Amino acid sequence: MLDTQKRHRNTILNFAAIGVLIVFLLIIDGIGSVKLEQAFALFAIWGIAAVSLNLINGTTGILSLGHHGFMLIGGYITALLILSSESRARIANSARSQMNEFTLGLSIKNWFEALGLNALATDDTLWLRFIVAIVIGGIISMIFGLIVGIPSLRLRGDYLAIVTFGFGEIIRLLASTRLFAPFTNGSLGFSGVPSEFGKSLWWTFGFLAITVFVMAKLKYSSYGRALQGIREDEIAAEAMGVNLAYHKVLAFAISAFFAGIAGGLWVSWLATARLDVFLFTLTFFFLVAVSVGGTGSVTGVLIGTALVVFVRQYGDPLEESYTLWQWLLAGGVLLLAAAVATLIYRNIRRLRPRLNASIYIVVGLGIIALLIGLFAASGGQLQSEYRAFGMRAIILSALLVIIMIFKPDGILGQAEFNWAWLFRERKDQPTDEERAQDAWLTGPELSKRLEAAETREASAETAGESSEAN
Amino acid sequence: MAMLEIDDINKSFGGLQAITDLNLKVNEGEIVSVIGPNGAGKTTLFNLITGVYKPDVGDIRFEGNSITGLKPDQIVDRGIARTFQNLRLFTNLTVLENVLIPQHHKLKSTWFSAVFRTPGYLRREQQMREQALEKLSFFGPRLMSFRLYQPVYVLSYANRRRTEMARAMATGAKLLLLDEPSAGMNPKETAEITQIIKRMRDEGGYTILLVEHKMNLVSEISDRVVVLDYGQKIAEGDYQDVVNDPKVIEAYLGKKAEGDEAQNDQLTEGDGRTS
Ligand SMILES: Nc1ncnc2c1ncn2[C@@H]1O[C@H](COP(=O)(O)OP(=O)(O)OP(=O)(O)O)[C@@H](O)[C@H]1O
Ligand SMILES: [Mg+2]
Repeated sequence: MLDTQKRHRNTILNFAAIGVLIVFLLIIDGIGSVKLEQAFALFAIWGIAAVSLNLINGTTGILSLGHHGFMLIGGYITALLILSSESRARIANSARSQMNEFTLGLSIKNWFEALGLNALATDDTLWLRFIVAIVIGGIISMIFGLIVGIPSLRLRGDYLAIVTFGFGEIIRLLASTRLFAPFTNGSLGFSGVPSEFGKSLWWTFGFLAITVFVMAKLKYSSYGRALQGIREDEIAAEAMGVNLAYHKVLAFAISAFFAGIAGGLWVSWLATARLDVFLFTLTFFFLVAVSVGGTGSVTGVLIGTALVVFVRQYGDPLEESYTLWQWLLAGGVLLLAAAVATLIYRNIRRLRPRLNASIYIVVGLGIIALLIGLFAASGGQLQSEYRAFGMRAIILSALLVIIMIFKPDGILGQAEFNWAWLFRERKDQPTDEERAQDAWLTGPELSKRLEAAETREASAETAGESSEAN
Repeated sequence: MAMLEIDDINKSFGGLQAITDLNLKVNEGEIVSVIGPNGAGKTTLFNLITGVYKPDVGDIRFEGNSITGLKPDQIVDRGIARTFQNLRLFTNLTVLENVLIPQHHKLKSTWFSAVFRTPGYLRREQQMREQALEKLSFFGPRLMSFRLYQPVYVLSYANRRRTEMARAMATGAKLLLLDEPSAGMNPKETAEITQIIKRMRDEGGYTILLVEHKMNLVSEISDRVVVLDYGQKIAEGDYQDVVNDPKVIEAYLGKKAEGDEAQNDQLTEGDGRTS
């Protein structure tokens, strides 16, 4: 197929995929399960955050740990700007309110009314005010991104990671100080944030689509290549004319903008804005999504996000209380599964011996656990109930460890899902003709021998001809 | 006025005087070779010209304007690009991407128009691609077609060297600094790269300053040879004059007397090696 044909095919397939996604969302919407819808909306919101974090961590190769700080800024600003008059009145009447007249009046509704745009200040047009608010949140978050980007010019690696981590925490602390409490209502935060956007599949996936579009197009543009150049080798990138300062700050700013958007949707999804919903764990989740999915790959990060959100939303059973024998059974099954997985892995990698001592030990422990769980179930001790708080985080951490050991680049690595890959079209594989030419170029010895053979043949031919002529 | 003028630069690392009172001129269209024993300061000289280090004293001018103290990317903007002795390619990126990145600094489009693929940006992207192919074609077909889309880490060592040279050319620089372009290449490949460097000057119009240990390459293409020893210029001129200069012979043989036998071979035969 010609390149242009392929491009047309890919465009058509892209639209088809978007169509399928829309149908899929319609079906989810139609099922009407609140839990399912919330999980998908959360996937989209965290997807925005993880994909934007990936621009710094994956594409530019700077470890940044302050993403929750950017989300906090976007989240609080969005919440404040669209908070309903009733909620404001409640805060104003509350004795513990930390807000003042001025900050309580910070509302897009008020601004529109002041401009005489009463049509835009009705309940029906809240969506418009939401867009304005979330974009303002994104822009202010972006300004903070510029500020955090500046240390990235002088610091590298671990040092910079610590600075970004500190920044995320400082933002959270600042938000509760006397200076900023009037804007954030201190530790009380806001409740009753309009939640019809963050919980809506259409709004969240709409923003996710925009984010993915921008990030993917950016990655495959000249700017994206420059950022990847910085990741690969900063000194070389600079020696090839890439302005490190500009591009690093640019990456931080774009990333922070989308983190701010994610923050706005996040408070809407939660219907509250409080300081404890912007903890470092949030950034940790995104880091897991980025590392597990594929550092640098937008599609990979979305796969990672899906895993993380699934564990978070459907991991409740992990943290309920079970009797000890049930725990033993689960542990036994897990141990046996681990042994089987190791066996398969060793087989694929052709590691010898196929069975080593540790596998025997793991299998033995697994069988013992199963036996005790099954046959000693009636024993008094085994009937007592235990509960594993934080099991979800443990599972995610274990997932991260496993991926880091077996596939350090993440599931997709830096590769991106695309149609050419699906159709096994590989531009980096030679055609037979090219392979022959390449052999000639790279193996002069071989080609010399081939040439010699050819001349021998040719001379034999001419010899034959001359004998014929005789 | 020479294209590159280096006036009395000095550079020391702690107690080590790496470059001492060095003067050097490179005229437009010249191929100038810098030779000298290991640790003579050749790479340091390149690092000073390209802004990786700033000279302690002295001035470096390019096309009449001082470039002392500019950052490496600004110096690329002015028109000087380099290759690295130990190769610094963007290993996980493809050959094509490696040769596109050096053209980024000339891009006028904002990131916004790049994301939204404005016609202006697409035109530039197309031009960059053509430029990249043109530079890669200096090395024959071996970096073209399917190789364009291969990540650099699958390339052979010689192909990586070639890619790095194409990458330096793609910056749009007029002066190229090549740090041991034939290091790690076999004699046949060295002979080929010698011809290519010549063509880069004759067809590509580049001025070339290069560091080399292989004397057959140096003798074949240099208009002028500069010899460094312990950070000082000890000789300059024609290849023949320079290698017969007693000071140069002493610099190389003196090392031999101290037990480093490889140095003498370099002068006579030019055995390829990297350090
Ligand atoms: N960043 C640095 N810090 C300290 N010393 C340095 C630094 N860079 C170079 N040197 C020292 O400066 C001297 C010159 O080094 P340089 O790399 O320029 O030598 P060279 O002529 O390129 O040698 P070679 O032929 O081995 O490449 C050496 O003694 C080296 O150890
Ligand atoms: Mg050197």
